[in-house]
Amino acid sequence: MSAQFIIMQLFNGLVLGCIYVFLSLGLSIIFGMLGIINFAHGAFYMLGAYTAYTIGSYISPNFWLAFIFAPFLMGIFGAACEVFLFRPLYRLPPLYIMLFTFGLMMVLQDAVRMIFGSMGVPYSTPDSFIGSVNLGFMQYPKYRFFLIIVTCLFSIAVWLFLSKTKLGATIRASTDNSVMVDALGINISRIVTIVFGLGIGLAGLAGVLAAPIQNVTHLMGMDYLIDCFVVVVIGGMGSIAGSIIGGLIVGEIIALGILVWPPIAHALIYFFMAIFLLIRPRGLFGREAFHE
Amino acid sequence: MSSGLILKKNSVFGALLLLLALFFPYIAPYTALASEILIFALFSMAYDLVLGYAGMLSFGHAAFFGLGAYATGIVLIRVYPSVPLGLLAGVVTSSIAALITGFLSIRRRGIYSTMVTLAFAQMFYFIAFKWTGLTGGDDGLQGVPRPALGPLHITSEKVLYYFILFFVLVSLLLATRVVNSPFGKAIQAIKENRTRAMSIGYNPERYKLGMFIISGFFSGLAGGLYALLLNFVPLSSLYWTTSGEVVVMTIVGGMGSLFGPMIGSMLIILLRDIISNFTQSWSFLMGLLFMGSVVGFRGGIIGVLRERLKLGD
Repeated sequence: MSAQFIIMQLFNGLVLGCIYVFLSLGLSIIFGMLGIINFAHGAFYMLGAYTAYTIGSYISPNFWLAFIFAPFLMGIFGAACEVFLFRPLYRLPPLYIMLFTFGLMMVLQDAVRMIFGSMGVPYSTPDSFIGSVNLGFMQYPKYRFFLIIVTCLFSIAVWLFLSKTKLGATIRASTDNSVMVDALGINISRIVTIVFGLGIGLAGLAGVLAAPIQNVTHLMGMDYLIDCFVVVVIGGMGSIAGSIIGGLIVGEIIALGILVWPPIAHALIYFFMAIFLLIRPRGLFGREAFHE
Repeated sequence: MSSGLILKKNSVFGALLLLLALFFPYIAPYTALASEILIFALFSMAYDLVLGYAGMLSFGHAAFFGLGAYATGIVLIRVYPSVPLGLLAGVVTSSIAALITGFLSIRRRGIYSTMVTLAFAQMFYFIAFKWTGLTGGDDGLQGVPRPALGPLHITSEKVLYYFILFFVLVSLLLATRVVNSPFGKAIQAIKENRTRAMSIGYNPERYKLGMFIISGFFSGLAGGLYALLLNFVPLSSLYWTTSGEVVVMTIVGGMGSLFGPMIGSMLIILLRDIISNFTQSWSFLMGLLFMGSVVGFRGGIIGVLRERLKLGD
């Protein structure tokens, strides 16, 4: 096994990790805000990819158009879901809201199957990203390289937004103690809508980015969703840094697992998670008594 | 209303259900559907022990159901074609898996423990998916036989139905015993008020783990019977959507009542069968049903029945 092949695989792990980062970020901030696991998150990711496909085939084949508008539209869709579907449910125990998201997942997936068929749709690498870049020591596909850079930029942007802006501070305060924030005269339901929209927008972005390197089918989010649960368990629920580092760790474990023994690659992350739970039950950045 | 009357109503209700179960193969669209309903009734009853009584939201019960099915199937195909031996292998495998999963998930609380159960189930799923030599991988485990049990030829669908019904009734009796035993009362006390239960000397972790294993045991039995019914084990029996379905059946039926989840699974499987006769998009309609049931009747079917018929607990 050559060193170049190993480095190549490390890069592939990074690309996979990037998709996990976006998905887990959304999952984690929604969880932090509402204390619910959004089972429809994988379906929103899938919708992001289909939105990009629809924009690409009916409006303009320009990838940048889909890249900008699909996550934006998903964010609006997510915010609308929050206002019209989730808001009336908040007085219920989290269990019921999770059941609700499970139903929503089935509805969204089957709706897409009815419209686009169960075979999925073709999505090719955007023209401007065909070919590879020379990194000095190896050639790497341009698109995948682009994906890594976008993830870096967006991770920094999300982190800056949450830690440096006033709105970000309000969001962080609301995840800690929403009753107190409400008592201080801040419109908490508006914050929840923004967080939900942001989370779903990030899932949509993950979908757009994954579309050229994945099979775009109505079930594409099913496995990814569960992998992201592993990410947030490893990283710690409700933590931005945890989602980013956890996502990259999980991506690399799968990629390195493929190097060692491909059949075990995917089961490996669950083994890893089990070990992690034994030595660090709250994950890397999880806080004590947070939604426990 | 006097408690005597409620008790009477309850036993009448129970007797009606038993009567329905006895004649169900003649009413249901086809016998295998009736058997499937029984199996999922058993599975959701087992799940209710964990969700409704111990208050733990497990999202990994597909593991115990699927492992029970695979263990039963593998023993019947490769080791020795004996149904009791196969089912025994199923429940033992599932109980051990429940012991491991439970031990690790109970270490964390709330949503975290849910995720651990889910992750373990996925681990078993990927192992079964990739270990094609043993499990058949994506195609599922094909050709599970139904060897005769002495004079009992369970190759007949009707005989198999009553064979399954026997196990379901025995399991229901055992589960009712468990729930009403001091152990069952203690675990409900822990669910109601953990701190208080701890301060009078109960160890919540140990009780929860016990209930988790019992639930895994019955789930494994349901899985083993499922392997017999289908003559094969689908890989999807281990997939996380199976865990989701049993949660839904339990909640739609009404958790914490053992009976409720059984009725819930009957309703959902019947509906699915009827809907899929008309349209391919049953998943869409079931999703709507789940969303609606959250908005509409949170006590579950059993809650509605209790209110309408003034049934007791």
